[in-house]
Amino acid sequence: MNKILLSWLIAACTLVVISYGGLFLGIRFFPGLFVEYNNPLFNSDGSRNVLFYTHAFVISFALSWFWEKFKGSIQGSVVMRGLQLGFIYSIIALLPVMWITFSSLDITVFTVSSWFLYGLAQAIIAGLVFAKVNP
Amino acid sequence: MKCTNTVWIAVLFLSTSSFVLPDQPGDNGLIKKWVVSKNSSLSVNGSTNINKFSCVIPAYNQIDTLTLRKNRNDTDVLLSGTIALSISSFDCHNSGMTKQLRKTLNEKQFPLLHIRFLSLNKIPVLTTKAEPITGFVEIEIAGISKRVEVQYQITQDDQRNIHLLGFHKINFSDFNLEPPQKLGGMIKTKDQLGVDFQLNMKAMD
Repeated sequence: MNKILLSWLIAACTLVVISYGGLFLGIRFFPGLFVEYNNPLFNSDGSRNVLFYTHAFVISFALSWFWEKFKGSIQGSVVMRGLQLGFIYSIIALLPVMWITFSSLDITVFTVSSWFLYGLAQAIIAGLVFAKVNP
Repeated sequence: MKCTNTVWIAVLFLSTSSFVLPDQPGDNGLIKKWVVSKNSSLSVNGSTNINKFSCVIPAYNQIDTLTLRKNRNDTDVLLSGTIALSISSFDCHNSGMTKQLRKTLNEKQFPLLHIRFLSLNKIPVLTTKAEPITGFVEIEIAGISKRVEVQYQITQDDQRNIHLLGFHKINFSDFNLEPPQKLGGMIKTKDQLGVDFQLNMKAMD
């Protein structure tokens, strides 16, 4: 139980730094890629900022639960296990969600692809943490 | 009885003349009327931490009249007339930005932006050379009015069209509006906006 909690918290903190740090750097150095977010489709009054910044904890929690259930089926080195968790998450959760998102919202292929890759990277990083802390 | 009638006649004269007098300035007074033509425009320029935007109302679709009035003893020139601009006419050359500006300006509740002209610092000399003048206007956005001093440049071309270019910087917060922010505040719109307008007018004889 302690290992699950510990791996969740380590993964969450790692994702906070890498995800939001990456976003911050992306906005700073590639601002043109983010112009599409100036759209009322995206929340603009700051009322959901807390939810935005707790996403790393939510995804880490969900993935740590999944890892605990199925880690026996994910074999290989730490890197391979991390990659496997990332691809499993992408196929099971991200792909269908991005599919329905693109089909229903007025967003570009680039934006939905960036969300897919962002989620894939998050799951791989979380998988690497789980494989190391809770093998 | 005769005295009462005289008083009533005096009261009647004063009350009716008080409605007439403002349109008839005294000696050396001046009234000019300018009709705003349909090809007038307004633009709003702002920026975020990732880009700049320029939103335009390219063609004003109403005909309004501005009236200049200067009485002999006044130092300032009174300017009256209001321009009502439809928020839905804004075009930011990017559909997302256009929708965002309309939402930020609370278009559903306040579909019109008003510019009420109040005064000029002097009677302009209309020539082909741009003359800088200043004047007060009242800008009403999202139901909030703010009186501001605007820098103008005024010219008259060979076809006797009068071109009044106005410029002023406003803040979203002046009108109780919140500049939009995205992605947890990582993308922020700056509070300050530049408002430019060009009124093309004809003097009425």
